[in-house]
Amino acid sequence: MTVTDDHVVDILDDGPEDAGPARAGRLPTPRALYDRWEKQQWSIAEVDVRRDRESWQQLRSFARGQLFEALAELEVGEVFVSRTLSGLVTHAPTDEDRLYLSTQVADEARHAQFFQDYLHLAVGEEQTVSESGTQDADSAYGRYFEPQLRASIDRVHELGGDRAAWHTAIVEYHLVTEGVLAAAALQSTRQLARRFELAALEEGLGNVARDESRHLTYGLAATRRLVDSGQADPVFEIYRSGVVLAARVLVNPAQKAVAPVLRPALVARAAQVSAQWHAARTRAVRQLRLIGLADRHQELAAAWDAACDRAMDEYAANWGVKHPVAVVAENA
Amino acid sequence: MSSTEVAARVRQLVGEMVPSGPREVGTADRLIEDLGYNSVTMIELALVLEVEFDLQDMAGEEAMDLVTVGDIETTIARLATAG
Repeated sequence: MTVTDDHVVDILDDGPEDAGPARAGRLPTPRALYDRWEKQQWSIAEVDVRRDRESWQQLRSFARGQLFEALAELEVGEVFVSRTLSGLVTHAPTDEDRLYLSTQVADEARHAQFFQDYLHLAVGEEQTVSESGTQDADSAYGRYFEPQLRASIDRVHELGGDRAAWHTAIVEYHLVTEGVLAAAALQSTRQLARRFELAALEEGLGNVARDESRHLTYGLAATRRLVDSGQADPVFEIYRSGVVLAARVLVNPAQKAVAPVLRPALVARAAQVSAQWHAARTRAVRQLRLIGLADRHQELAAAWDAACDRAMDEYAANWGVKHPVAVVAENA
Repeated sequence: MSSTEVAARVRQLVGEMVPSGPREVGTADRLIEDLGYNSVTMIELALVLEVEFDLQDMAGEEAMDLVTVGDIETTIARLATAG
């Protein structure tokens, strides 16, 4: 995991689990992240999402479906965060944290607007998943993760900004939603955007990823401070629970997976899906180093693998057939 | 549909879905090296072939490489006539 010269963690870095030194002690302060935010402004108007419309219409159904699904998940996540993140601002432990988190609220609003504009003006959707209110049915994040995060933010409010509750939400927002799920989605979607020459999408996702790198860095630093204060075990447990839920989001047992009948295509599809899962798993494990819990990496990796296996069992029970990844793994 | 007709239709579909744009393809053309197919477009081609030839679940079907257009012609002809 790359830490840049000014110590911001690059959210799109896809190095191995043990890449890079554990330099969390040098992670930037909220003020430094605020300063970086001022220098990294961008606008949706300048991205001009309409320029992708023609390319989008020329996509074939599978590629369009893959991209649409990814964009819908990102839109649901950004809209949900934009609706709820202010709770963490209100109950931030210091004014410095509050000022930084206020910049993040602005970022999340821009991200939500970017994905909605893209879906409307480039893809041609009349309503996004969030706008139609169908995230429980149409989004794995909405179905599996959002209820947990909503409960966590409600708890912050109910307990009047209790520190433990606030940090739980930070782990779930910054480390899991952004550091694992959004990072993996941004990486794979940006690769597809590049492959299919969707220039506005590639540029917009790059901007979003730059913002998310600041957000993730803030979350890592805040969580590292908590670990250093003697809270390693509870932090690990919160993180482990979030990561287990993230694995279920990625497997998404409630949705029938694309499973080509022709075996080579099935193998190719399973490889694509496995690569996405592996990238997310790698990110989840790597982050442990930066929050001072590197010694728990095997435990976390085992929890991830077990969560994927359970979700694939759930998939088989739901659909009466094994998940394509399980089918290919059995015949490997 | 005869095996000759199946092969011709396979070539037509493969040619229509070449990533760089439709073109005429031959039995010996390699999907990746000659025609520019990648993992995404390979999956897309497979899904189109499933619909076109009404291919059903292939439990027990051995994994095999589909390197050339001819490999697809042979596989589809066998599966389509087996159903």
